[in-house]
Amino acid sequence: MSIEIQGVSKSYGAQAVLKNISLTIEAGELFVLLGASGSGKSTLLRVIAGLLQPDSGRITLHGQDVTELPPQKRGTGFVFQNYSLFRHMTVRQNIAFGLSIRRTSSQEQNRRVAELLDLIELAELGDRMPSQLSGGQQQRVALARALAYEPSVLLLDEPFGALDVKIRVQLRQKLVEIQRRLGVTAILVTHDQEEAFDIADRIGVIEQGELLEVGTPDTLYRAPQRLFTAAFLGTANLLDARRSGESVVINNAYLPVPPGTPHLNGHAIKLLFRPEEVLLRRAENSVGGEAVIGTGVIQSIAFAQPMLRVQVALTGEHEGNLVQALLTAAEARALNLHEGDRVLVGLRSYHLLPT
Amino acid sequence: MREVTPRSPIAILLIVIAIGYAAILFIVPLIAVVQGAFASGIEPILNTFRDPSVIHAFQVTLILSGAAVAINAILGLTTAWVLTRHRFRGRKLFDTLVDIPFVFSPVIAGYAMIVLFGRDGWLAPPLVPIVFALPGILLAKVFVSLPFVVREVQPVLQTLTPEQEEAAATIGAGSFTTFRRVILPEIRTALLYGIVLTFARAIGEFGAVAVVSGNIEGYTETATSYVYRALNDRSTVGAYSVSVALCLLSIGILILMSTLRRRLSQEER
Repeated sequence: MSIEIQGVSKSYGAQAVLKNISLTIEAGELFVLLGASGSGKSTLLRVIAGLLQPDSGRITLHGQDVTELPPQKRGTGFVFQNYSLFRHMTVRQNIAFGLSIRRTSSQEQNRRVAELLDLIELAELGDRMPSQLSGGQQQRVALARALAYEPSVLLLDEPFGALDVKIRVQLRQKLVEIQRRLGVTAILVTHDQEEAFDIADRIGVIEQGELLEVGTPDTLYRAPQRLFTAAFLGTANLLDARRSGESVVINNAYLPVPPGTPHLNGHAIKLLFRPEEVLLRRAENSVGGEAVIGTGVIQSIAFAQPMLRVQVALTGEHEGNLVQALLTAAEARALNLHEGDRVLVGLRSYHLLPT
Repeated sequence: MREVTPRSPIAILLIVIAIGYAAILFIVPLIAVVQGAFASGIEPILNTFRDPSVIHAFQVTLILSGAAVAINAILGLTTAWVLTRHRFRGRKLFDTLVDIPFVFSPVIAGYAMIVLFGRDGWLAPPLVPIVFALPGILLAKVFVSLPFVVREVQPVLQTLTPEQEEAAATIGAGSFTTFRRVILPEIRTALLYGIVLTFARAIGEFGAVAVVSGNIEGYTETATSYVYRALNDRSTVGAYSVSVALCLLSIGILILMSTLRRRLSQEER
């Protein structure tokens, strides 16, 4: 393991910003800390870099306890949201800064800077000043500056937050490519879940200073353990349910408990299903599979990129609950759906979690 | 081409007022001073600058002004740093108090120094005298020119985000390296500008210095107090000559300032 965080807590006055966070990050992993602003994600990153001192807990980098070390001795590479290049230095001098501090020979510095300029695809712009570069170019230089001295770990604090959407997507692909090629362990902090899903090996969801859940993007999306995660990532349909033996009871329908579900006996439970897992049938031809949870009335149909987003108001036990469904245009056409139509709501797959 | 329409009579009037006011206030007096100095030829002027007490007065002025600049450069930089980077109780008040030398009459400042550091003062120095001696002059010059470096450097420091220092720290730079290679290059021009202003103010100061130094000829007399004494003694050529020398120095400083100011505004872009 590359980064080990053990029981880290930090408060500002009465306000706890980090609550007893423990996390292990494997060598070469690209880990994304995902949370809303003010969740404490940047604070955790700063604690790892040594820019902030935790109130308690230990930070270990590659087996070395660095908790007491100043940032200078930790050798992390840090990339800030606002680039923070040295304004009076050229691109080349910015990238070489870490090397010149380490008294690397000027030959070696030149070689390394040229290599990094190639890596970030700015070979011709080495003699420019930061003010002559676009935001995306500046951030690439900042990345090269942080990579120049072969950092122990790479820490990125909302690195694409200040960039246009298009540049943002390009640049994060570039980051993944560079990170893979160099094999450097990296933690990226973001509030953008699309970004997190796009690049993360694993995601840690952080909320109000608490690390709620850690997992691969796929696991966190399909089978979250916490209600917050379920609702925070993507669109979630969440309905109250109860467990009866090997079945889940919802709206008088009995669904089999999916394999791998913890017991949850005696718990109030929630049934989670994603819009793309919803199957709609016209209520008249009520053939229905075993995963039908009830009937509803179509409230609205809207075009959502290539799919159609259909809102269904459930009737019966769950009256008042809205179900979000995503249908392909072909499905919708075959069903000939209109607002006000009565439909059967079925599920392709679902997940259970404690409330 | 900014001026498209012909100038209106009001515009012409305003321009005449602005230039006339500048002419009456400093161009005409400057000509008068130069004319007065050369009234009886070059020889009396040369004699003035051969006078040991004049030479001494210039030495005292230049050396002590230089020392005041050194002190205010270092302490001013520290003050600007503290005011921009640290939050503490009374910071706003402190920030306001930095401007005291601008608003206080220098004579009162000089008098306060006598009360404090005089022979029977509250903080009477045990070994070397301050009042009616050279340290008093230095103190007066430092006092009156204190705000310049602070006020020039402070706004530039405010534009420097702490992230630059944090970036330098994670890259591995210690605080001295960070100051020398990251912060100093950013504030260099502003600092120089502040230093030039400090020097100009320190050289020209009369009131506080006159009160605290006692104007002892050949000891605590400065160039400006020489001019004052020469005028009282009806030695007009001496007064005019030294004034011309001081004016030349000021013009040199003015040219330096406008060069620096141009560089400052370029850097801001």
